[in-house]
Amino acid sequence: MNITAAPPLRRPRHGKLARKRRLAGMLLSIPAIILVAALLWTPIVQAVRYSMTNWNGYSAPVWIGPGAYASAFGDPIVRRVLENNALLLLAVPFAIGIPLIIAALLHEHVRGWRFFRSVYFLPTAISWVVIGMVALQFFADKGILNQLLSDVGLGSIHTDFLASEYSALAALAITFIFSMIGTNTIIFLTGMATLDPTLIEAARVDGLSRLQIFYRVTLPLLTRFIQFSFVITVISAFSALFSLIFVMTGGGPGLGTTTLEFFVYQAGFAQGQFGTGALYGVILFVIMIIVGIGQLRLIRTEDGEGW
Amino acid sequence: MTAASSPSAPPAPEAAAPDTQRTSGEPLAPVSRWQSARFRRRVAASIIFAAMIVIAIVMFYPFWYMGDNSFRNQAQFDQQSGHSLAGWTQLFQVLPVVHELVSSTIVCAAAIAIILVVATTAGFAFAKLRYRGSGLVFLLIIAAMMVPLQSIIIPEYVNLAKFNLMSNYTGAVLVYAALGAPFATFLMATYYRGISDELIEAAVMDGLSYERTFLRIALPLSLPAIATVTVLQFIQIWDDLLVGYLFLPTNDRTITVGLAVLSSGRTTGIPPLMAGSLVSAIPAIIVYLIFQRYLIRGLTLGMGK
Repeated sequence: MNITAAPPLRRPRHGKLARKRRLAGMLLSIPAIILVAALLWTPIVQAVRYSMTNWNGYSAPVWIGPGAYASAFGDPIVRRVLENNALLLLAVPFAIGIPLIIAALLHEHVRGWRFFRSVYFLPTAISWVVIGMVALQFFADKGILNQLLSDVGLGSIHTDFLASEYSALAALAITFIFSMIGTNTIIFLTGMATLDPTLIEAARVDGLSRLQIFYRVTLPLLTRFIQFSFVITVISAFSALFSLIFVMTGGGPGLGTTTLEFFVYQAGFAQGQFGTGALYGVILFVIMIIVGIGQLRLIRTEDGEGW
Repeated sequence: MTAASSPSAPPAPEAAAPDTQRTSGEPLAPVSRWQSARFRRRVAASIIFAAMIVIAIVMFYPFWYMGDNSFRNQAQFDQQSGHSLAGWTQLFQVLPVVHELVSSTIVCAAAIAIILVVATTAGFAFAKLRYRGSGLVFLLIIAAMMVPLQSIIIPEYVNLAKFNLMSNYTGAVLVYAALGAPFATFLMATYYRGISDELIEAAVMDGLSYERTFLRIALPLSLPAIATVTVLQFIQIWDDLLVGYLFLPTNDRTITVGLAVLSSGRTTGIPPLMAGSLVSAIPAIIVYLIFQRYLIRGLTLGMGK
């Protein structure tokens, strides 16, 4: 790929040494191939097969065929679940915008910014199970949010946020945004560290305000990093919320916070419908592929570069 | 030179009038204190500082909440006043804390060991020992990063049950290893590309086999990348719920799984749950604080510099 960039190759392409090298390469890559093929690629093929059956995991599976997908998309419950996923995507702009602002503040390098950076990234280290448990107390009937609301004279709003469908989904979305702040801030801060400071200085000398510099200089130069964090955030919104949902709502009330990934778990393991569960998993995979194509493109441009 | 934008930047020695030096770009006419760029910068810095403190309070809030409420009994929690050791003593009654911490450690160590073996060897092969089709194989391996766990969880469960791997740690360890391997391989390959071909070939000319060259030359050089993989995977696996919940036997649960199950039962009081949360969070926080540098590098490597 980078033949033009490499100096004249001193590695022989033919002969005994080259053969040894190829052989060693095959040998050393075998363990990774076996692991990934056995535990990631094989199951995805199996999942596609299972998805077209009616199977409870014990008795013999009954073949349905591709029609299983047609009936799934006609199911109002499935539509409701997909709607929840779509609504959760509304959290993505906040999960990117807030970290952008935080990174911009940190990048000003005011006194103590290293300490603040450590504090901001701290939640990145802990499990979303733990974050979910605290969030549960935050949004609860006698929780902190209701306390805060009554403290500022909005006590009339007092409600159990996790008890009605849409407020529970909103609570989940807010917790998700909080959980993404650390990772996305790291991404943007790294991006800002790559910017040429003389550009910013030049803009300052030209009389642009801080805000103008942020909008007109910093943001356009960060496009690549924003794209990357967008992909990460969307993937997380679709496939990393299990812990939060499990701890905070269990998918309820009703179907209020059941997303596709949680639905896979419920169908497969709570209701024992392996075929249907696998089908939801395949739908999730297809959505991820569509999102992931962007990520692959980003990674490929990086091919051939070192650290 | 970011220092030039800092209000405390020392004046350049050759500058006759330090004040005009700092405000270059401003009109040279005398300006009032309120209009001076230096003063405005001070004000801006104070506003930023205040905003950062507010954000710090929000981000630290969960930790403060866990600490504060773990030292309460149920009545003190309901009243939100008074402290005691009740949360902590109850925790050890409702959760096999030590055993689950041991389980977490075993699962993490075993899975990370497998990930490091397959990712360093394959990463080196894909970077330095290319063979026909190795590019495609590499692409297939890193493309597996896009497979969401939920998409394969049911066949995975069926397969592990078939080979009877869910009665001990084996099944969960293998799944964690497989999930971590693609990104780790990508990261190691990226790192090994930075090592010069001459170095490898020179070692081979000296009579080492390629396999030994990997072990003796490349592997020691890649310790920083190995640290990155280790820290990233430790935090990921330690914090995971789904794999451990489905694939580990009930009496060998990790601390994160144990806590989540306890919490979802809705019968345990909040103080012991908060104490348990702190216990589960502390190892990850310590690792994070010590290896912050490596973690940040790993998280951002996906899109390069």
